[in-house]
Amino acid sequence: MEMITSLLAGILFATGIYNLLQKQLLRIVIGTALISHGAHLFILTMGKLKRGNPPIIVEGVENYVDPLPQALILTSIVISFGVTSFLLVLAYRAAKTNDTDNMDELRGNENE
Amino acid sequence: MLTAIFLPLILACFIPFLSKWKDSIHTGWFVLPIPFSIFVYLITQVGTQFSPFERSYSWIPSLQINFDLYLDGLSLLFGLLISGIGSLVVLYSVYYLHKSEQLGHFYVYLLMFMAAMFGVVFSDNVFALYTFWELTSLSSFLLIGYWNHRKGSRYGALKSMLITVFGGLSLLGGLLLLTIVTDTTSIQAMMDQKETIINSPQFGWILGFIFLGAFTKSAQFPFHIWLPDAMEAPTPVSAYLHSATMVKAGIFLIARFLPIFSLSEWFFIIVSTVGIVTLCWGSYMAVRQTDLKGILAFSTISQLGMIMAMLGFGTKIAVFAAVFHILNHATFKGSLFMVAGIIDHETGTRDIRKLGGLMTLMPITATLAVFGTFSMAGVPLPFLNGFYSKELFFDASLHLKGEGLAQTLAAIIPYLAVFGSIFTFVYSMYLFFGTFRGEYKEKELPQKPHEAPIGMLISPIILVLLVITIGLIPELFNSALIDHVAEAVKGEPMEKHIKFWHGWDGTPLHMSLIVVALGALLVSFRSYWSGVYKAVPGALSLNKAYDWLVDRTEKYSSTITNGYMNGSLRRYVRLLLIAILLGTIGTMLLTNGLALNPTDVEDVTFPEMLVVIMMVLAALATIFTNNRIAAILILGVVGYGLAILFVLYRAPDLALTQLIIETVTVALFLLVFMHLPELRKRHESAGTILINASIAILFGAMMTIVGISSYNSKWFEPISDYFLETSVKLGGGHNVVNVILVDMRGLDTLFEITVLGIAALAIFNMIKLRRKKGAKE
Amino acid sequence: MSNLAVLPILLPLLAGIIVAFFNTKLTAVRLFSRVVAILNLIVVSYIGWDVYQNGTIILETGGWKAPYGIVLVGDMLAMLLVITTNIIAVACVFFASKSLSDKKESYYFYTFFFLLITGVSGAFLTGDLFNLFVFFEVLLMASYGLIVLGGEKVQLRESLKYVLLNLFSSMLFVTVISFLYSVVGTVNMAQVAERVQEVEQKGILTTIGILLFFVFATKAAVFPLYYWLPKSYIVPNPVVSALFGALLTKVGIYSILRTFTIIFHHEVDITHQLFLWLAALTMLFGVIGALSTHNIKLIVAYNIIPAVGFMLMGIALFTETSVAGTVYYLIHDMIVKGALFLLVGAIAILAGTSDLRKMNGLIHHYPVIGWLFFIASITLAGIPPFSGFIGKILLMQGGLEEDQYAVVIIGLLTSLLILFSMIRIFIQGFWGEKDETFTPNKKGARGFTWPIAFLVFFSIYLGAGAETVYPIVEEISKSLLDPTQYIESVLKE
Repeated sequence: MEMITSLLAGILFATGIYNLLQKQLLRIVIGTALISHGAHLFILTMGKLKRGNPPIIVEGVENYVDPLPQALILTSIVISFGVTSFLLVLAYRAAKTNDTDNMDELRGNENE
Repeated sequence: MLTAIFLPLILACFIPFLSKWKDSIHTGWFVLPIPFSIFVYLITQVGTQFSPFERSYSWIPSLQINFDLYLDGLSLLFGLLISGIGSLVVLYSVYYLHKSEQLGHFYVYLLMFMAAMFGVVFSDNVFALYTFWELTSLSSFLLIGYWNHRKGSRYGALKSMLITVFGGLSLLGGLLLLTIVTDTTSIQAMMDQKETIINSPQFGWILGFIFLGAFTKSAQFPFHIWLPDAMEAPTPVSAYLHSATMVKAGIFLIARFLPIFSLSEWFFIIVSTVGIVTLCWGSYMAVRQTDLKGILAFSTISQLGMIMAMLGFGTKIAVFAAVFHILNHATFKGSLFMVAGIIDHETGTRDIRKLGGLMTLMPITATLAVFGTFSMAGVPLPFLNGFYSKELFFDASLHLKGEGLAQTLAAIIPYLAVFGSIFTFVYSMYLFFGTFRGEYKEKELPQKPHEAPIGMLISPIILVLLVITIGLIPELFNSALIDHVAEAVKGEPMEKHIKFWHGWDGTPLHMSLIVVALGALLVSFRSYWSGVYKAVPGALSLNKAYDWLVDRTEKYSSTITNGYMNGSLRRYVRLLLIAILLGTIGTMLLTNGLALNPTDVEDVTFPEMLVVIMMVLAALATIFTNNRIAAILILGVVGYGLAILFVLYRAPDLALTQLIIETVTVALFLLVFMHLPELRKRHESAGTILINASIAILFGAMMTIVGISSYNSKWFEPISDYFLETSVKLGGGHNVVNVILVDMRGLDTLFEITVLGIAALAIFNMIKLRRKKGAKE
Repeated sequence: MSNLAVLPILLPLLAGIIVAFFNTKLTAVRLFSRVVAILNLIVVSYIGWDVYQNGTIILETGGWKAPYGIVLVGDMLAMLLVITTNIIAVACVFFASKSLSDKKESYYFYTFFFLLITGVSGAFLTGDLFNLFVFFEVLLMASYGLIVLGGEKVQLRESLKYVLLNLFSSMLFVTVISFLYSVVGTVNMAQVAERVQEVEQKGILTTIGILLFFVFATKAAVFPLYYWLPKSYIVPNPVVSALFGALLTKVGIYSILRTFTIIFHHEVDITHQLFLWLAALTMLFGVIGALSTHNIKLIVAYNIIPAVGFMLMGIALFTETSVAGTVYYLIHDMIVKGALFLLVGAIAILAGTSDLRKMNGLIHHYPVIGWLFFIASITLAGIPPFSGFIGKILLMQGGLEEDQYAVVIIGLLTSLLILFSMIRIFIQGFWGEKDETFTPNKKGARGFTWPIAFLVFFSIYLGAGAETVYPIVEEISKSLLDPTQYIESVLKE
C-alpha cells in the first residue's frame, strides 16, 4: 500500500505542478494546495502505514503507528494553512490592483 | 619605514580639518614636509656601506598577512623616487592648482597614493604587497577622476581602474600560488626556494598571473591603453603617478622576482618580447599624438617598455642599465611633464598644432625642455644621463644568448632596439621643436603666454640639474645607490663602471649614431611619411577593442539577463523544476540510489483503493475543469480524501485537523475567487502543453521514485519508540501525537502559531491598505 | 546545557508580540524597538563570548534529551551569524523610521521585523531539521508581511512570484525531510549525521541530500534557482530590502554549509563537484545580471548572486581554507549587503530616482553618502584592506590548492566585474557636474548616514581587524570539517 500512496502523492505533485505552470492565478493557487497535500501524504507514508493502533496509549496495547510523522504533518498542515490563506489574499489583492489574474500580464518590465 | 607608510595616511585623515585655513595658506604647504622628511631619512641610508634590513609589524598573523618591511637597494631606490619626486610634485602643485580647487580631496588622494606606493616597495609580505598594490590603483582612479566633471576624466578613471585592477587580481592569483608552493608569504623566504618554485607544476600559472599583473600596471603592450587616458589627471599627478612611480610598480615587481623567474627561459622570452614591442609601439605611436601630454604618455609607455626589456634580458649589464634608467627616466620625464604643465598653464592649450615659437617667450622653460628631450632621445652628449642608459641598453642587447626561440629573439632584438630608439629620437625632437621653435601662432592660443612663476620652475629645475649631474658624474650615483639596486635585483655583487667614451669602435656608439642620423632624417621629412599611420594602426586600435569589450559586456549582459529573467512565473518555475530534475536524477543514477523492490509493505485493501482512485480523479479534474467553483470544490474533494486516508491510517488527530482546515480553506477560496474572473479556456499551443505536462509528470515520477526508494531503505529504527515509551511517564499524556506537539517538540508548535499570527497580521494589512486605496479612488 | 541559547530567539519574539499591541503608539514603539535591538545585540554578543570561552552551548528544549526533543545548538558558527544578524538589525531599526512613512511603520512593521530576526536566529541555532523548516516558515512569513507592506502595484506583483516559489520549495523541504526520516529514522541533525556516516551515505541518501541542496539553493539563490530574487528584493522599502539582502539568502547558504559539511560529506566527488560548477555559473550569471541594468537597486540585488556563488565555491572545495573562506565571506557579505541596500535605498530617495542614467554629480550634495558608497563598493569587490578581501583570498587559495584554476579565474573575473558594476554607479551617479538646480535634502541624508556608517565600520573592521575574527573562523572551519565534534556535543552530553 505504501507504494500506492507514494504514487498517489507523486500524482498530487504532478497535477499540482501542472496547475502551477498555468497562467491563471486560481489554477496556480490550486496547484500549491495540491502540492501540499502531496507533501503531507508523503510524510505519512514514510512513517509506515497501519502498523498498529493509533498512537494513543492504551493499557495492554503494544503496537502503535509511528507518532512522529503525524506530529510533523500537523505542524505542517497548520503552517500551510497560514501560508495558503496569505497567498489567497495576496492573489486577490495583486489581481485587483493590477487588473488581471493572468500571470503572463504580471511580468513587469526592466528598470522599474 | 612603517612611519613612511602611515605618516601620509595619518595626515590624509587630518586634511579635511585643514580647510579652515584654505583661503590663506595653500594646503600643499602642509603636505610638503611629509615626503620631504621621508626623503631625508632615506637619503641618509644611501652610501657604499648600505646593507639591507628588515622590520616586522603584525597585522593578521594567523593568516600570515603582516607588514614585513624590507629595505634593500631596490626598495631604497623606489623609496627615494617616491619621496623625492613626491616632494617636488607637491611643491609644483602648490603653484599649479589654484586655491579654489578642491585641494583637500587632491592631497588626500595624493597622500593615500604615496602611502600605498611606499607600502608596495617596502613590503616583503606578498599579501601586504597586494593590498598596497590595489590601493595605488584606487588612488590613481580617484586622482584621474579628480576633475570628474569632465567626461574624459571619468572615462580615463574607469579605464585605468578596470585594467589595473584586472591585473591586480591576476597578481593575487599568482601570489597565492607562490605562497601555496613555498608555504611562506615572505618574498625573501621565497628566494631561498627558487628551485621548488621553478620545478613546481604551478610555475606556468604563477608566471602568467604575475606577469599579467606587472604588465597591466606598467602599461605594457597591449595593456598600455589606459595610460594615455590617464593624462586627464592634473599634470602633477601625471608626472608623479603615471610617469615616475606607480607605472613603475610593475617594473618593480618583475625586478623583485627576477632572481627566481629568470631561471626559466620563458622569463627572457616573454618579458623582453613584451618590453621591446612596447618600446617600439609606444615610440611609434608617440609621434602621432598632438597633445603634449599624449606624446609624453606614449613616450612613458615606450620607456617603460625599454626598462622591461632590459629586465627581460636578465644579464648583469642589462639589469644594471635597467635600474639606472629607472632613475634617469624619473628625472627627465618628470621635468618634461612639469614643462608640459607649465605650457598648459601659461598658454591654455596642450595641442602641439597650436603651439610653436615659445622659445623667446619662455626661455627658462625652453632650456629645461632642451635638456629633458635631448636626454630622452639619447643624444650622445656627456652631460645627459639618458645617453648613458641608452648606450647601456644597446650594449646589453648585443650580448644576448639563448637556444631555439630565445636565440631567434636574441638576434632580432638589437634591430628592434634601434628601431624603437629612432622613433624615440623623433618624438623627442618633435616635442621640443614643435613647441618652442617654428612659427608663433598667437591667434590660436587661448591666452597670452609668458614665463612661468618661479615657484613652478623650481621643481623642473631641480630635476634637470639631476639629469646633468648624473650625466657628468655617474660614478657618484653608481657606487652609492645603483650598485646596491642592481645587486638586490640580480642577487649578486655588481661592478660596472660607466664611461662616456668607449672609443670609436664600440658598436653601441655606432647604433646611437645611426639612431641620431636616421632620426634627424625622419624629423625633417615628417610630412612625407606620416601617412603610414593610416595603414598602421589605422582603424584597428586597441582603444576601440577596449571600448568594444566594455560596451559588449554591458550589452550582452542585458541581452542574456533579459532573455531569461523575463518576469514570467511560468518560465521561472519551469527552469527551476528542470534544474532540480536534472540534478536529482543525475545523482540518483550516479550513486545507485534506486531501491524500488517493495520491502515490508502493507496489503492493499479495497476501501483504501477507492479513496485513492477518487483522489487521483479529483486531482486530474482540477486540470480539466473550466469552472472555478467546480475547481475549488474538487480541490476540497482531494483534501477530504486525504482526511479519510488519515482516518484509515490511524491518525485521528490529523484527520480532524485536516477536515477543519480543508473546510476553512475551501471557504476562503470561494470567498476570494468569487471576486476574480471566471476560469478561462486555455489557449495554449500543443507544444506548451506538452512541455508543461512532461515537466509535471517527470517531477511527480521523480518524487514517487525517490519516496519509494527512501521507504525501501529503512536502515535504522525510528526514534519514535522513545516517544511511545515516555509519553505517559514523562509527558503525562496518553495521546502521543499531542504530547509530542506540546511537549517534546513544543518549540515547533510555538512557532507554528507564530507563523499563523504573522499571516493574520499580514492579511490584515493587505485588507486595510485596500480600503485606503479604495477611499482614494 | 544552558538556557542562554534560547534568548536570541525569545527576545525578538517577545518584542515582536509586544509591539504588535501598541502599533499605534509610534514614538514609544520606535524607542522600544531600538532599545530592544541594542539590548539584543549586547545579549547575543555576551552569549557569543561565553561560547568562545566555554565551548558550544546546547539547549534541549523542554528538557527532552537529544535526539528526541528539539535541541538548540549555540556553536561558534551559529553565534557568529546571530551576532552579525543583530548588528544588521540595529542598523535597520534606526534606518526604518527615516525611510518608512509613519503609516507603514504603524502597520506592524516592527512586529514583522522582530519576527524576521527571530526566524533567522532560530534557523541558525536549531539543531533539528524539521525545526529548521519551522523557522524558515517564520522568517518567510515575516518576509511576506514585509514585502507587501504598502501594497503597491509592483510590490504585490513581485511578491506573488516570491511567495509562490518559496512556498513550493518549502513544500519540497518537508517532503525531503520525511524521506530522510524514512531512511535514518530521525530529524535531529546530529543524529542524522551520525547515521548517515554509519551507512556511508549509500543508496538513496545522496539523492535525498541533493534534493535538500536544491531546497536550500532556492532560498540561497544559487544558479539556476534565483529567478525570484532580484525583482522581489527591490520592490519593498529600502530597509526591508536591506534585511532581505543581508539575511535571507544567507540562511539558505548557512543551511547548505551545515548540512553538506556535517551530514552529506561522503560522496564529495558527486555532490561537491556539482556545487563547484553551480558556484561558477552562479558567479558569472549573477554578475552578468548586475551589469545588465541601470537601476541601482537592481544592480545591488543582482550582486547578491555572485556572492552566493563565492560562498558555495568554498563549500564545494571542501577544504579547511575554503570553508573558512565561506564563513568569513558569509559574515562579510551580510554586513556589506545590508550597508549597500541601505545606501542605494537612501540614494534613490535622495536623488528621487533609482535610474542611474538620471543621476549626476551627487557627491557635491551628499559627500558622506558618496564616500560610504565608494567604500562599500570596493569592499564588495574584495579590494583590500576591507572585509571582502579576507574571504576572497581564502576562497581563491582554497581553489588553487585544489588546482581548480577555471573556477578561480572565474572568481577573479567576477570580482572585477562586480567592481565594474558598482563603480559605474559611483562614476555616473556621484561624479560629474554639480547640478545647481538640485535642492539637496541634507537633513534626510544625515538621518540615513549613521546606520550606514555603523555597518561600514564593521565591514572595515572585518578587514583591517581580521586578526580578532579570523582565528574564530578558522576554528569554525575545523569543526565543520570534523563533524564528530558537533555530533558528540549534541548527542553525548
